[in-house]
Amino acid sequence: MHTGIKGELLKIENLHFSYERGQEVLSGIDLSARDGESIGIIGSNGIGKSTLMKLLVGLYLNYEGVLEVAGHPVSKKNLSHIREHVGYVFQDSDSQLFLSTVEEDVAFGPQNYGLSDEEVKRRVDEALKKVHIEPLRKKQNYKLSGGEKKLASIATILSMEPDIIIMDEPSIALDPRNRRNLITVLNDIKTLKLITSHDLDFVYDTCNRVVLLDEGRIIADGRPEEILRDRKLLESHGLELPLGFSRTIIYTE
Amino acid sequence: MKYIEDNLKELDKLQDLQQRSHWMNQLHPLGKLLTCVIYIAVVASFHKYALDKLLLMACFPVFSFVIGELSLKNALSRMKLILPLVLFVGIFNPFFDRDVLFIIGSAQGAGESGIFVTGGVISMISLMLKGLYSVLAAYVLIATTSIEDICYALRLLHVPRIVVIVILLIYRYFGLMGNEADRIMTAYRLRAPKQNGIDYRAWGTLVGQWLLRSMDRAGEVYESMTLRGFNGDFKKERRRPRWQDHAYIIAWTCVCLLIRFAA
Repeated sequence: MHTGIKGELLKIENLHFSYERGQEVLSGIDLSARDGESIGIIGSNGIGKSTLMKLLVGLYLNYEGVLEVAGHPVSKKNLSHIREHVGYVFQDSDSQLFLSTVEEDVAFGPQNYGLSDEEVKRRVDEALKKVHIEPLRKKQNYKLSGGEKKLASIATILSMEPDIIIMDEPSIALDPRNRRNLITVLNDIKTLKLITSHDLDFVYDTCNRVVLLDEGRIIADGRPEEILRDRKLLESHGLELPLGFSRTIIYTE
Repeated sequence: MKYIEDNLKELDKLQDLQQRSHWMNQLHPLGKLLTCVIYIAVVASFHKYALDKLLLMACFPVFSFVIGELSLKNALSRMKLILPLVLFVGIFNPFFDRDVLFIIGSAQGAGESGIFVTGGVISMISLMLKGLYSVLAAYVLIATTSIEDICYALRLLHVPRIVVIVILLIYRYFGLMGNEADRIMTAYRLRAPKQNGIDYRAWGTLVGQWLLRSMDRAGEVYESMTLRGFNGDFKKERRRPRWQDHAYIIAWTCVCLLIRFAA
């Protein structure tokens, strides 16, 4: 649900987290984010991108440092409040869609927050419209294609009208047309978005800020044009230039 | 394995049936659930020799299959695991109950010719019919009502929340475990093309992997639910019963009671 907060929606200071004692996955993260930003969290496999995202929605609570979402510290007491304001789109859409039809799944969140039937219906209509899948409303989830599943997953989150949307590898396993469609849909959503991805072209197309993580720390934080064009920086942290850029460089060189 | 794949497809087909726009699917789930329960209770209440009345009770499944456009052949094939159990329930009755109730093909007192029908045979047939009718009634319910709607109806009947949630999640978990098993089996089969079945040495690892992966997936699904406000209760849009819903349950209750007590 929208808080109406226009300023800082996310505040992370000196965040430390480990699954097992002595093996820190995140060691001293500082990050803040404002309404309307679209932030790409990039980094090689296993450096803690998904862990950071899961911390934001309170799936792990044994962290150290400051972690505030929509004005509230992430703690057991505030979980319900935080989850009302943060939507999480899973990497695997099959984990997100667990009811029979698209409509039922999109209505699941608003219904759980006790909204009236009319309000639930309005939100479902709006969410389906935003991701352009109104015709799929009554379709069985198992009959959806990969691209449709991804859009339906996003609709399940949009119906909650969150302040922050977190997406874990949203472009994975999508064909070029569905990928392009997803980029258009995401660019039309104006709430704060945090997108983790290895697909740097996708990040470039959807984000106005990029955060590079490695060894549990933030290595770089800035505009996509600066970070995603820096071959040396990317390669020293296990990444490669986005295909679009490397092609340009090959041609120009 | 084709077996797992086939079963998953069956589960999907059942969901297709549940989502049809047929008027029986649109009936209020509580009415359908109560009709099913009343029908089964009445069927079970017949005396073991009341075969004639029991035959009349076929009207509900016949009506539901014909008017509801359900395929009896598909239903019987989907219940092929349960049906033998249902049909064998009374198989020993003819051995214990040997009282002759009537003779077919012979006038009374005209001699020994004809077929002696014992109480055991009649009670065996009536038990089989009772089982068959009950299974068919339950099939009609699940073929026209989604699991979410059935659970909604159960909640309206004040069945404890925890019981309803367990039913719902077990149903969802079937598909999830089936999908995982299918993936593991396909990966195994593709790398052991000459093997017939699964090598006994691989069973332990495969089952272990299957459980671990299913648990992971189930964990993710649960996380996805809690992140969307799930707090242990499924909330559904309230549905007001229409006159058709009332008519459906009243009509079938009257028919059942009429056959039971008046016929």
